[in-house]
Amino acid sequence: MSQPIIQLSGVTQHFKDPGGGLLRPRLVRALDGVDIEVHPNRTLAIVGESGSGKSTLAKLLLLLRRPTSGEIRYRGVAHSSLGRAEMKKFRREVQAVFQDPAASLNPRMTIEESLGHVARFHRLAPPAEMRAFLSRHLEDVGLSREEDFLPRFPHQLSGGQQQRVAIARAMMLSPAAIIADEPLSSLDVSIQAQILDLMLELRTRTGIGLVIVSHDLGAMKSIADEVAVMYRGKVVEFGEHVFDDPQHPYTRLLLDSQLSMDPRNRRPIRSLEESGESSGALPLSAAGCSFQFRCDLSQEVCARSAPRAIQHGDGGPIVRCHVVNNQERADT
Amino acid sequence: MIDVHERGSPSRPDGESGDAPLLRVEGLDVRLHVGATSVHAVRSVDFLVRRGECVGVVGESGSGKSTLARAVMRLMPNVSRVELGGAIIFDGRDLMTLPGAEMRKLRRKSGFSMVFQDPLGFLNPTKRIWRQVAEALSERPGGDRPFARVVKLLEEVGLPEPERVAKRYPHELSGGMRQRVVIAIALASEPQLLFADEPTTALDSTVQLLVLDTLRRLHRDRGTGMVVITHDLSVVAELCDRVYVMRGGEVIESGATVDIFEAPEDPYTARLIELSRASHTLGAAKLCAPASG
Repeated sequence: MSQPIIQLSGVTQHFKDPGGGLLRPRLVRALDGVDIEVHPNRTLAIVGESGSGKSTLAKLLLLLRRPTSGEIRYRGVAHSSLGRAEMKKFRREVQAVFQDPAASLNPRMTIEESLGHVARFHRLAPPAEMRAFLSRHLEDVGLSREEDFLPRFPHQLSGGQQQRVAIARAMMLSPAAIIADEPLSSLDVSIQAQILDLMLELRTRTGIGLVIVSHDLGAMKSIADEVAVMYRGKVVEFGEHVFDDPQHPYTRLLLDSQLSMDPRNRRPIRSLEESGESSGALPLSAAGCSFQFRCDLSQEVCARSAPRAIQHGDGGPIVRCHVVNNQERADT
Repeated sequence: MIDVHERGSPSRPDGESGDAPLLRVEGLDVRLHVGATSVHAVRSVDFLVRRGECVGVVGESGSGKSTLARAVMRLMPNVSRVELGGAIIFDGRDLMTLPGAEMRKLRRKSGFSMVFQDPLGFLNPTKRIWRQVAEALSERPGGDRPFARVVKLLEEVGLPEPERVAKRYPHELSGGMRQRVVIAIALASEPQLLFADEPTTALDSTVQLLVLDTLRRLHRDRGTGMVVITHDLSVVAELCDRVYVMRGGEVIESGATVDIFEAPEDPYTARLIELSRASHTLGAAKLCAPASG
């Protein structure tokens, strides 16, 4: 495969937990030894529940944070050795799209001012051609010239249109990669499909590397080339067929929690015992697998040591689970 | 006949064998006036909830689904003027003409309750859970002490270790637990009808299931009437007997959930179902297979 645009190796991000007490602050491991690569012309979906560290991961991919340990490489150069010029190039080449498009556009600026601001800073077009440049890029994301979006303010646009503007702002810099953090979750279902189509179309046309962080597994299935499933700061499963052939018990649980869309075939109503929920926060035990308390495959080994990530066969999924990996070893 | 759009389940005329609907809304119109502009948020909507029935109201943002529920409960947004038209009959009483004090009584005791999307915005961060639930308890002379009744409620909404949860503060609970605390508060007044506005929207999928289980158990065991307002058709598929589809303030289609899902008549409904289905069919067959190497 080509050289990755961004490469994370062994990246760990710790935060001090303000709830941990003033004198004995507790460390929260938001990310714990994450390896991930962003390649051109590929779509990587990062999925997981809230608190799994997926948004922290997005921030690191954008170099909006520096990791506690581990290394982020941009085109082969470690983040600690990126100079001023390289950093500026990074800021141009790696673009972000966020969850709430209204919040990512200045409410007091027209679309023309918002986009023009960025375009002037990066000298994307000479002043005389600026308007035409911006209109062309809005057209690329499906906002037609006839409707004249440039003089409008963000609140005069629908949520879907705002998200298109945010995507246009990212795309007009001809980026090498776009990191999108929950780009769909504030949009209606019919709009979500349009925005997904747009992102996929742009990715195919321009060959950028696309990373989408999402809790919506269904939407990711249609767009992702690779999927990273995160649980408590770790990538527990990574591969191309995660949705069709899940290996990790957590991935199975996530997929199994999807609702049916079939009123004749409803899920059985579970009792409290069947749902296997406990009242307190799950113990932050340093030893063992972080999923052991919710896992129905859990064995004695899971409490003793944290599982390593092991690849199943050549090009197969990378799984971080003692039980599944032992089975894989026994089979081969 | 009230529901002109209705199909699937034949609706009976009123008064037959004392089976009058719990809630009957006829030709409801809601206009919101803010300054010089006005919005016709709900347009001549007919709506019906039978006793013990779970009804879904689906639509995208701006469809008027939340305004419909708030209009029935008379919890309207604080804009300069709200213009209501039509009739709202709850349990034989006309809510349009009901004095404010009577209306408050309905909301407080054995009338209706509402569960909102954002439980943190609803709960008081400085009070322990049990006190907040106890405030909403319907008065019952003699009998159990409030704490015991609260614990029973928390247990009923499916919270593990209810005594411990009762003594905690909202920030010490997860989002799914808070949402169930809000449901417990809604149930504390022993309502006949529960409105749930996007009850699972802010939640992760595994937690969403826990809250859905709670609502379905309540519906099954208590027979509380429910109106579930959501943009998520899969929630309707799992939960509701009948469904109303709203768009632009109007009900464009209604009927038994099974009928609407299998043969939607309106192209908009069909498109919504198709899109939701596309994002919900995730290699389900594979999930049942045991773990293999």
